[in-house]
Amino acid sequence: MQWHSRTRRIAVSAMFAALAFIFSYIEAILPLSTGIPGVKLGIANLVVILALYNMNFRYAMGINVIRILVAGLLFNGLFGALYSLAGGVVSLTVMWLLKRTGLFSMAGVSMAGGLAHNMGQLLVASALVSNLKMFVYLPVLMFSGIAAGILIGITASVVNGRVPKDVFAK
Amino acid sequence: MKNMFKKADFVLLAILILIGIALSAVSVLSASRGAKAVVTVDGEIYGTYSLSDDQEITVERDGHTNKITIKDGSAQMTYSTCKNQVCVETGAISETNDSIVCLPNRVMVEIEGGEGGYDAVA
Repeated sequence: MQWHSRTRRIAVSAMFAALAFIFSYIEAILPLSTGIPGVKLGIANLVVILALYNMNFRYAMGINVIRILVAGLLFNGLFGALYSLAGGVVSLTVMWLLKRTGLFSMAGVSMAGGLAHNMGQLLVASALVSNLKMFVYLPVLMFSGIAAGILIGITASVVNGRVPKDVFAK
Repeated sequence: MKNMFKKADFVLLAILILIGIALSAVSVLSASRGAKAVVTVDGEIYGTYSLSDDQEITVERDGHTNKITIKDGSAQMTYSTCKNQVCVETGAISETNDSIVCLPNRVMVEIEGGEGGYDAVA
């Protein structure tokens, strides 16, 4: 039973990574550009949050990293992938830690994740161009990260209530 | 909808919004009209240009090209060979603390203030 469950989780992870990738693609082709780098919805994080809540941190991180590498290299090139990766890893780690405290709802966890994602990206971006002046974007990125995180979090908790739990296999 | 948020969510949101407002206030209050545009490539200063002279600067490096246009006291990235075109979409900048960043080509334009910038006037 143990093995059966593990195989199934790997298959579900692969499916989730593919789903997250499709969401990245949809977001890349949607003409929603705000002109400010980093201000976006991050629909793919919906999948990552569901994985974090229904599987565990390791599977969620695997899905997240695969999605970012594939989507980043295809749509943004190497540097784009690099700073997306930083944002994704920081964001998921923060969400995992907040979820563990048990104090926050899914929307709250997602809000912090959205914010952490933008902060992680900003850190790497300023390291890449070796200039801390990029932090003038900080307030804009903070508010957009919070707003996007809350929206994705609300969507995730609605979706989470409707996905049959046996999909994830215990 | 009822169980969607917890108390701690609102506390965290309030704290974050306060921090955000404080940071915005700092960046708005410290901004002033700029005098020079400093172009940085790969972390090194490529050149400093006065905002009072209309001009076009072309940065070419490793097969990447960026064009910066200075007009009516503001600087704008008017052309870039990068894929995402974020720098071009940033538009014109003229205040200190403002910057245009082209991450793929690693080109950055920053606005600097007038302190010690009397050469712009003289």
